Amino acid sequence: MARMDLGDIPLFAMLKSRLGYLSARQKTIAENVANANTPGYTAHDLKPFSFQSHMQAAASGPAGATTIAATPAGTMAVTQPGHMQAPGSKSGVKAIITPDSEKTLDGTSVVLEDEMVKMTDTRMDYDAAIGFYQQSLSMLKMASRRPGSA
Amino acid sequence: MADNKSISSTTQSIAVSALRAQQARMRIIAENLANSNSTSRTAGGDPYRRQAPVFRATPVSGGGTGVKMERAVPDKAPFNSTYDPGNPSADATGYVKTPNVDPLVEAMDMRDAQRAYEANLNVIEAARSMNQRTLDLLKQ
Repeated sequence: MARMDLGDIPLFAMLKSRLGYLSARQKTIAENVANANTPGYTAHDLKPFSFQSHMQAAASGPAGATTIAATPAGTMAVTQPGHMQAPGSKSGVKAIITPDSEKTLDGTSVVLEDEMVKMTDTRMDYDAAIGFYQQSLSMLKMASRRPGSA
Repeated sequence: MADNKSISSTTQSIAVSALRAQQARMRIIAENLANSNSTSRTAGGDPYRRQAPVFRATPVSGGGTGVKMERAVPDKAPFNSTYDPGNPSADATGYVKTPNVDPLVEAMDMRDAQRAYEANLNVIEAARSMNQRTLDLLKQ
């Protein structure tokens, strides 16, 4: 039985993982901002997102197991309905320690300005990805429309 | 259940934990400023001692690292003293111990708390608008 999933289309799969990455990054930035006054806390960030690695993951997956393309790097693909996800592996992206430009005497390395810049970046990227998603959806709609109708 | 929480709502609960911590910090600052002239009840005794908030990173539901004000520790800095023999708190030599609160330090701390509070409000706003953009996909 062939079931068509929006995630089976590589473009949508990529946008989906991009949006997931950006949400996870936003969460990491929230953690940094929340701990801007915690002694000894160092800012975290996610490794830069690359479409390349997601393309490779899609290309190397076995034929038929297209859901692997939609799986974020670092998590196990769910190819059967009974498959379970390991706890805590939901986002699939790993935070790395990236100290900000300054460090206070009590060992905190979070600069609110740097974090605000990162946050705005993430937000704009998210808006861009949503825009692409919208465009792709309207292209799909156009393709499925009856010829001759407006 | 921690697993069925979206990343966006986890982001918001992280920021909310920070808002609470900064509020608690503001309360401590208010206590310090209010008591910056509170001398001892007994003659020659110790006056009000400045409190300092201690923040600690704590996990929030949904799997993130929030923050909370763990406790307030007494500031070990020495008290100031002024010569005021008429004061009921003065010791035998006429000196009154006054609190180790520096209004300038408190004012600076207050600005810092305010700035951190605003930054966390910005985080909530950003998370909310990102979520809204996603939900807007349903509208077309």
